[in-house]
Amino acid sequence: MSTDLDFGDEPLLSWDRWDRMKNSELFIFFAAGAFAVLFPWLFIRAPITGDIFTGYGSLAKTILIWSIFAVGFNLLLGETGLLSFGHAAFYGVAGYGAGWVAIYSYGHPLLMIVVGVIMGAVFSMLVAPILLRLHTVYFAIVSLAIAQTLFWLAREPFNQWTGGENGLTRMEVKPLFGDVTPADQLPDVLGTLMGSWMYLLIAVFFVITIVAVHRVKKSPYGLIFKAIRENETRSAFIGMDVWRYKFASFVMSATIAGLAGALLTVDKAFVGIRRLWWSASGDVVVMTVIGGLRTLFGPVAGAIVYQWFGGVVDGYPQIGQYWLLILAAVFTGIVWWYPDGIWGLFSQIGDFLRSLGGDNE
Amino acid sequence: MALLGEVVRFTFLSLSITSIYVLVAIGLSIVFGSLKFVNMAHGALYLLGAYVGLFIAYSNTRVGGSLESFAPLGLEWGFGAALILTPIVVAILGVIMERLMAKPLYDRDMLDQLLITFGVLIGLQEVIGITTGRTGYTYTRPEWAQGPIPLPGIGTASRWRIYVIFATIALLAIILMFYKYTDYGLAVRAGTEDAEMTQMLGIRITRPYLLIFAIGAAYAGLAGILGGSTFNVGPQIGIEIIIPALVIVIMGGVGSIRGTIIAALMAGVTFSAVTEFWPAMATASIYILAIVVLTLKPQGIVPSVVLEE
Repeated sequence: MSTDLDFGDEPLLSWDRWDRMKNSELFIFFAAGAFAVLFPWLFIRAPITGDIFTGYGSLAKTILIWSIFAVGFNLLLGETGLLSFGHAAFYGVAGYGAGWVAIYSYGHPLLMIVVGVIMGAVFSMLVAPILLRLHTVYFAIVSLAIAQTLFWLAREPFNQWTGGENGLTRMEVKPLFGDVTPADQLPDVLGTLMGSWMYLLIAVFFVITIVAVHRVKKSPYGLIFKAIRENETRSAFIGMDVWRYKFASFVMSATIAGLAGALLTVDKAFVGIRRLWWSASGDVVVMTVIGGLRTLFGPVAGAIVYQWFGGVVDGYPQIGQYWLLILAAVFTGIVWWYPDGIWGLFSQIGDFLRSLGGDNE
Repeated sequence: MALLGEVVRFTFLSLSITSIYVLVAIGLSIVFGSLKFVNMAHGALYLLGAYVGLFIAYSNTRVGGSLESFAPLGLEWGFGAALILTPIVVAILGVIMERLMAKPLYDRDMLDQLLITFGVLIGLQEVIGITTGRTGYTYTRPEWAQGPIPLPGIGTASRWRIYVIFATIALLAIILMFYKYTDYGLAVRAGTEDAEMTQMLGIRITRPYLLIFAIGAAYAGLAGILGGSTFNVGPQIGIEIIIPALVIVIMGGVGSIRGTIIAALMAGVTFSAVTEFWPAMATASIYILAIVVLTLKPQGIVPSVVLEE
C-alpha cells in the first residue's frame, strides 16, 4: 500500500494521482469510513434536508444494514454472474441464529453476530452442492424455492423456535461493554454525527465488509470470478476448478448476507418471519441492480434509494402509494437500457466533468 | 367402499390442483423451451386473468384502491361469460406483452430476461394493487359449477373439479396438436432447432412465436379464474403462482411438454396429499419435491433442451 501513496515529485493534485489512489485499499477504507460517519448526519440532521427526516434515525441503520447485504449480494451477482433469488435464506437464518444466542445463551452483541454469521455461512455450504450444479435459471428458481421452503418451515413446523408469524421476541441484548448498551447515545460529537452505539457497531462492520469485498474484487482470486462470469466453459478449459470458485463466491456472499441479518437482529431485538419471504430476496436484487452491478459502492446507493422510497416516499400523500411501482419501473429500465445503474451514472457524470476540465484521458 | 370413495375424492382433488398448475406452466414451458425466453411476467397473466374474470363475472361492491369511488364495479355477465371471455382478453394482453416486452428480449442474456420480467411482474402487481386495493376478492361459483355429482357405486365427486379436469385435458390436447400437427407448430419447432436457418428458408417465425405466446397467455388467464376460485385472489398472486410454475417447468425439464405435465402431476399430487395431513407445509412440499428431483437429475425429469452454459 505504501507504493500506492508514494507519489515522488508529482504535483499534489493531479488526475493521475487520483486514478491511482481511488483504487487503493486505504482510500476505500477511508471513503467507506467517512461515508458511514457522515451519512446519518447528512441524512437526518443536516440543515439541507430541514427537519423532515428527524424521526428517521432508525432508517439510517436499516440503510447501512441493507447496504452490507447488497454489497455482499453484488459479489455473487455482479462479479460471478450468479443470480440468487433466495438470499433471504442466509439473511434469515443468521437473524434467527443471532436471536437464539440471545435467548438460550448470552446476548452479547458480538457473540450474536458471530454465531449468526457462522450459521448463515454453514447453511450456504449445505445448499451450495445442490445449487451450484444448476444452470442460470435453475439456480435462481431453486434458490428461491429453498428460501421459500425455509419460510414455510419457520412459519409452522418450527414455530416453537421461530415464533411463527409473531416472530422471535423476548430476547435481551446485553451491554457491549461495561454498562454501555447498543441503544445508548455515543458521547459528544460522535453522538451528533452517528447517534447510537448500535449505529457505530453497524458502521464498523460496514467498513469491514466494503474493504473485504474490495480486496476480493481486486485480487487474482476475484479476477477468476469475473472469468467465470464471462465464460464458464473457457475458464474450465484453462484448468480452473470452476466449482470451487463458484462455491467460494457463493459462501462469501451468503456470509455477508448473514452478517446483515445478524446485525438487524441485534438492532431490533426481534426476528420477523418476513425476513425469509421472497420479497427480502427480491429487495436485495432490486437494490443491487439499481445501484449498479459490478461496482463497489453501487449497491450502497441502491440501498439508500430503495429504503428512501420504502421508508420516506411511502409516507408522502398522493405519490406515496406508487413507491414500489416507481422502483419496479426504474429497476426494469435500468436492466434494459442502462445496466451501469446509479453508480455508473455518477462515474459518467464525473468523466464528463473531467473532460470539461481538459483532461482527455 | 369408503376407501374407494376417499381414493376417488383424492384423485379428483389432486387432478384439479394439477390442472391449475399445468395451465400456467404449459405456456411458460413452451416459450422457455422454444424461444429460450424465461418469463416471470407470465405470473402477471395469471393475475390479470383472475382480475379480468372477476370484473366480467360480478359486480364487485368492495373495490379498494383508486377505483374505490366507482364501486360497485363490474360487468356482471356471469361466471360462464368470464370463463369464455377472459382467455380472449388475456390472449390480447399476451400479444401486447410479447410485442413490447418479450420480443426485444429474445436475444438477451437469460439473466437480463429474468431480471426484467421480474421487474415487470412486480410493476404489474403494483398497478393492480394500487387500482383495485390490496385486500383479496372471492369468487362465488354459480350453481351449475357447484355441488357433487353422484358416481354410481362409488360415491360422489365435486362437479366443479370434474369440469376443470376435463377442460384442462381438452386444452392440453389442443395445444399439443397445435404444436405437433400444424404448420405454425412446425415453424415454432423448426425455430427452436435453428432460428436463423428457418428464417433463411423463407419462413416467418415471429408470427408463430407470437401465436404460441398468446395461447400460453390465454391458458394462464383461464388458470387465473380457476385458481382464483380455488386459492385466493389478491395483487400478490402473480408471484405466488409463478414460483411453483417455474419450479414445475424446470423440474420437468426445460423444453419438454411431457416433462412439464409429469412434473405438474407430481406437484399436484404432492400438494393435495400434504394438504390432507399437514396443510401448513403444502406449498413448501412442492419446493422440497423440486429440490430433491433436481438434486437427483439436475436437467429435470425429461431433459430435452440443453441450455447453453
